[in-house]
Amino acid sequence: MSALRLMSNRTSQQSLSNSDYTWDYEYYEYGPVSFEGLKAHKYSIVIGFWVGLAVFVIFMFFVLTLLTKTGAPHQDNAELSEKRFRMNSFVADFGRPLESERVFSHQMTEESQSLFHFCINEVDHMNKPRESQKGPSLESNTPFQEVPKSSGIFEEDLHCLTKFNIPNFVNTEQNSSLGEDDLLISEPPIILENKQVMQSSHRILD
Amino acid sequence: ENISDFSLNITDCIQVVVPEEVFFTVAAAGILENLLILIAVVRNKNLHLPMYFFICSLAISDMLGSLYKTLENIFIILCKMGYLTRHGDFEKKLDDAMDSMFILSLLGSIFSLLAIAADRYITIFYALRYHNIMTLRRALAILAIIWAFCAGSSIAIALFSYEAATVIPFTILFPLMMFFILCLYVHMFLLARSHAKKIASLPSSTVHHRTNMKGAITLTIFLGVFLCCWAPFVLHILLARFCPHNPYCACYMSIFHVNGTLIMCNAIINPMIFAFRSPELRSTFRKMFYCSR
Repeated sequence: MSALRLMSNRTSQQSLSNSDYTWDYEYYEYGPVSFEGLKAHKYSIVIGFWVGLAVFVIFMFFVLTLLTKTGAPHQDNAELSEKRFRMNSFVADFGRPLESERVFSHQMTEESQSLFHFCINEVDHMNKPRESQKGPSLESNTPFQEVPKSSGIFEEDLHCLTKFNIPNFVNTEQNSSLGEDDLLISEPPIILENKQVMQSSHRILD
Repeated sequence: ENISDFSLNITDCIQVVVPEEVFFTVAAAGILENLLILIAVVRNKNLHLPMYFFICSLAISDMLGSLYKTLENIFIILCKMGYLTRHGDFEKKLDDAMDSMFILSLLGSIFSLLAIAADRYITIFYALRYHNIMTLRRALAILAIIWAFCAGSSIAIALFSYEAATVIPFTILFPLMMFFILCLYVHMFLLARSHAKKIASLPSSTVHHRTNMKGAITLTIFLGVFLCCWAPFVLHILLARFCPHNPYCACYMSIFHVNGTLIMCNAIINPMIFAFRSPELRSTFRKMFYCSR
């Protein structure tokens, strides 16, 4: 980049005039650089920089994987629901549909109510400050007949979220496992059209 | 051993030259790929969403970077063939314009990545209100502001590149943005991890541990690629400003063309890790290619 060359010309060679500016591919022409008496290898900055960069990236990777390993899974149902209430709603991964319907049905009944209220509060909170008409439409969009079908399949959050047509839906159809990276890939938020919503919710159901 | 040291010391760090064919291939691939993404997003109405607009902005800045390198190569060839003089005023202006295009590309990349990360953050943490927060008009306004700022800064930096006052903010901006993006993604990642743990705690859910690895790998790839492609060049700017006559710095600066090629490689890799991971975009591509047959 010749701008850099211009930069170095002005700082280092004050005696030369501006007309000495040349635009050159062979940019590295600073003048005599003395290479005598080097204590370290001459490419030490290059090597040091790349090694440092590699170490940093690997370090970042290990920190992230360590984050995945620390922390025990929650066995407490009460603790679970409490965490849910605290959490702002989000969609990280919908995972694949969980198999057995029976196992969840009893869980659904007792927790879905409280979760329902939580979600209602979320929606209300959204409705209040804004003039948007989208808020109520969110509620009205959801067909309630979807609920019995989905309740057996999803975990509680998903139950709430499908009820309320959460705008962003991470598509996991190509993943057979829970993909945290789905949130990073991220299918776009669902447009508030019924057709797309039905499409996406069918993806959940599959 | 003194003699060998002496001979080692007096040889310059010669400029590492990347063959022109490699330059042109890499640049052309970058331009084509990003152009495809732009066309796909424009043609498919389903992709008229804030998220894809930010990805388009990233594609545009990548294209600008590759375009800059291509144009520079072409002008150098024209110079060698004698059609352009080296000392002309017109060439100088052209050179300044191209430098500002390059800095525009760099700034545009950084801010587009920031916008993508912020958009995903809002998607996850403010899911119910996402459509109110990130409307299409707001997304376009944000993009307009970003690009206006980048254009102004790039012109200022290209004009006043000899001032330390422009070089230092430019090089500080880079790690600052990186750090901010890292924080956003780590926060999202932590939330996804806790969610996965909850699902794992439920009976009869068979979550695999390796899925947590996938998130870590994806995050590392995002940020690692950006770092590895842009940091060498930023360091080059710093060294050129502050220690141009130091032999160590000079040896680092001799690999300038490799750094430039890395930036163009970033233009090729970015679509793969951002745009092509969206199924909707992939299906648009398939339709585009099958229809053209």
